[in-house]
Amino acid sequence: MQDFLQTAIGGLSIGSIYALVAMGFSIVYRTMGLVNFAHGGVVMVGAYIASTFFLTVSLPFVLAMVVAVVLTAAIGLVIEGVLRPLETKDVDLMLIGTIGFGIVLQALVIIIWGATGRAVPTPVFRQPVTIAGIVVRPYDLVIIAVAGIAAAAMWHFLRATKPGAAMQAVAMDPDAATAVGIRVGRSNAIAFGIGAGLAALAGGLAGPVLYVSPSLGGVIGIKGFAAAILGGFGNVPGAILGGLLFGLVDAFSASWFHGFADVVVYLVFAIIVVVRPEGIFGEQTVSRA
Amino acid sequence: MRKLSFGGAAVLAAVVALSLPYVLNGYLIYVVDIAIIFMLLALGLCLSLGIAGQINLGQIAFFGVAAYASGILTTQVGMGFWPAAVLAVLAAALAGLLVGIPALRVQSHYLGIVTLGLSLAFTALVGNLSIAGAAEGLLGLPVPSFPGVDLSSHFLYYYLELAVLVVVAPFAYFVVFTRFGRRLRAMRDDNLAAASTGVEVPLARMSSFALAGFFGGVAGVLYAGLVRYVSPPSFNTDTMFLLLAMVIIGGRFSLTGVLVGVVTLTVVREVLVDYSTYAQLVYGALIVLMVVFAPTGLAGAPRRLKDLLHRGTREAAGGTQPFVPSGTPNGSSARTGRPALEVDGLSKRFRGVQALDQVTLTVEEGEIRGIVGPNGSGKTTLFNTVSGLYTANAGAVRLFGRDVTNAKPYDLSHLGVARTFQNLRLFGRLSVRDNILVGLDRTRMRWAWRYVAWPIGVLRSERELRLGAREILAQYGLTAVADAVPGELPYGTQRRVEIARAMASSPRLLLLDEPAAGLNAQETQQLAEIVRDVRSRGTTVILIEHNMGLVMSLCDRVTVLANGVVIADDVPEVVANSPRVIEAYLGGGDEVAAPDPVTTTEQEGAR
Repeated sequence: MQDFLQTAIGGLSIGSIYALVAMGFSIVYRTMGLVNFAHGGVVMVGAYIASTFFLTVSLPFVLAMVVAVVLTAAIGLVIEGVLRPLETKDVDLMLIGTIGFGIVLQALVIIIWGATGRAVPTPVFRQPVTIAGIVVRPYDLVIIAVAGIAAAAMWHFLRATKPGAAMQAVAMDPDAATAVGIRVGRSNAIAFGIGAGLAALAGGLAGPVLYVSPSLGGVIGIKGFAAAILGGFGNVPGAILGGLLFGLVDAFSASWFHGFADVVVYLVFAIIVVVRPEGIFGEQTVSRA
Repeated sequence: MRKLSFGGAAVLAAVVALSLPYVLNGYLIYVVDIAIIFMLLALGLCLSLGIAGQINLGQIAFFGVAAYASGILTTQVGMGFWPAAVLAVLAAALAGLLVGIPALRVQSHYLGIVTLGLSLAFTALVGNLSIAGAAEGLLGLPVPSFPGVDLSSHFLYYYLELAVLVVVAPFAYFVVFTRFGRRLRAMRDDNLAAASTGVEVPLARMSSFALAGFFGGVAGVLYAGLVRYVSPPSFNTDTMFLLLAMVIIGGRFSLTGVLVGVVTLTVVREVLVDYSTYAQLVYGALIVLMVVFAPTGLAGAPRRLKDLLHRGTREAAGGTQPFVPSGTPNGSSARTGRPALEVDGLSKRFRGVQALDQVTLTVEEGEIRGIVGPNGSGKTTLFNTVSGLYTANAGAVRLFGRDVTNAKPYDLSHLGVARTFQNLRLFGRLSVRDNILVGLDRTRMRWAWRYVAWPIGVLRSERELRLGAREILAQYGLTAVADAVPGELPYGTQRRVEIARAMASSPRLLLLDEPAAGLNAQETQQLAEIVRDVRSRGTTVILIEHNMGLVMSLCDRVTVLANGVVIADDVPEVVANSPRVIEAYLGGGDEVAAPDPVTTTEQEGAR
């Protein structure tokens, strides 16, 4: 039982990071129908910027995170700007274009920070505490809390603010949104900026837990994407639930299958997609002839 | 003259290919050896991604499966290189089938992430299996044995690879430009229309992955024999994305294009060989630039250049000739009194909306039936349910006495149902001729075994198919535009192409969804002539139409739908005077009897 809870806490912590990544995927997808394969790369860049400002510039961790979020949001805007001509065209083409951006981001990271990774020390509460026989790293709780706050803020933004409502409108029907005077382009840019900001948040938080290296983006991007699909692509609450679930699957798979954990995780994911492609919260779409 | 220069180019290419080992040093020939392996991989990726439209990010895993299978079977099981090679290629094709399973349910980005995930699962698997050497991989794989030739020399190995390429690459071309590949391309351009034209979409998707697996497998075996060492990092996502870059930069729709893409990126990587990260930067940026500015890649460059040179002077693609009736205009004599289509209590619900509510109607063989009703009354839903695109919630459909409720669209096509679509669903990247050839192809997927066992038979049947296409093109007056793609043609011509494609399948029942929408008066006249001719050859016709003049003059009987319910079903004169029908149109409907001229021009302008 203790082992179980121990693993569960670890799973929820990494799952919170996946949830942040998945939310980034989803906010971009629901607004502009773009699946951003460069998202993992953006997460990685966020992790590098946050760790650089934390370790090299010696800013407080929170400030380093803020810098990372702002800078990566700017990168998100650049990606959106370049791919904008494709937005109404071929989805597959746009997808391949974002893969291209992912490759570029990885190359840039290697050029700037080198091919070897870096370990980031835990920024706050380094001493593990024991609660009811379970050893808990307080930093895990910090990750869960930050993800929870980010999710709540997002929820509030989409429901109760004007740009959020505009984004909802664009998600539902871009033409109708244009007709009532919403600027779809700006709405898309905001979505992409927020998505990239969330990615930086995820990357910055993940730094002390995972090793920051040029291959971080691939791993975290694919798992975050899988989490988004699990929850129902484009669905924000679904992204959170999918992230947490995927984190748990990841953690338990690691404790049961060791080296083969990833094999099991990806197979489970493939089976879920085949059985229920619309995810937990997603709606079945009707193909129109 | 053109033939001659083509032959000359082929001879030149052969001379260059054969003499390469004499002009290149040991390092460069190794680079070429690797490039040929990438060519095979790229052909496989082109077949699945470009030809069949299946986002396949697992191609590198098929490569890995074969390389590892070859390694394990030779070093751990003790088999010879060649028997192991056969099994390894089969294993890769099988891996292709397995990775293709998700394609039955999902497409596009979902498929991309699943195939990427499965390829990561593969590297995680071999990185932990002790039989595969775990993280260290397998060392000391055997040199392929060949009597009298020492294949450990990279110079001689080049000739082995060249021989394989010369056999396998033409097979890819052979597949793409005959029935099977044509169906894959049709499916890529529009999977619903492809299914309705008889393409067994699930099988086609699976077989495109199996093909990708086969090409990846051949590449993997050659890799194992050349490098003689396999380890997980060789098959990671970086290699996958490099391969993807080659395919995108070369042009994913063209086999020749992807080969050029492999050569281009190989050169770029060799020029930047000491700056591999900058090479990565370059090809990543090239992918982005290509998708934004040149989605057809290098393969599309000649076309773009030509368009640029001839800008302004290019005329709209050639005109159409009038339709030629088949010569037996014997009016309604084809009617037999037997039912062609019986719809019994059919219901279809979309979440809250009851689109079809207990619809019952019977269409006689040889009849021309009109289906009318205000917008949103369920006419197209009825067609979609009858033709297998939607599954009904209740009720039954019988076709010539046979129960076909919820049958698959491709099965219905092979049972003699053909249809057109309200918003035109032509295969956009296929020529008019190819569109019609897809309709003409009446074979089932299993026919494709001939590709392996009897390729000459495939070529022969292809010639017959083309003769058939020539006839249909002539009959529908489309000969002059046979080589144009649909997007270059005027709207009315596209409509006619869609009917010709449907009729190419020699259907017993033809469903036309608003065939006169967007047509001018003369084209509408032609349409009426075509429909009468179709019927005179024994094909039953059901048409949805808003043009009441056309419906009244053409149809033997008219069924009126309103809110998913049949409110009238009688001869045109009776229906036109039925109070319920008049109320449905004037009371609740927003549609007038004739097509609105404004929307008509809008549709034409939008093309």
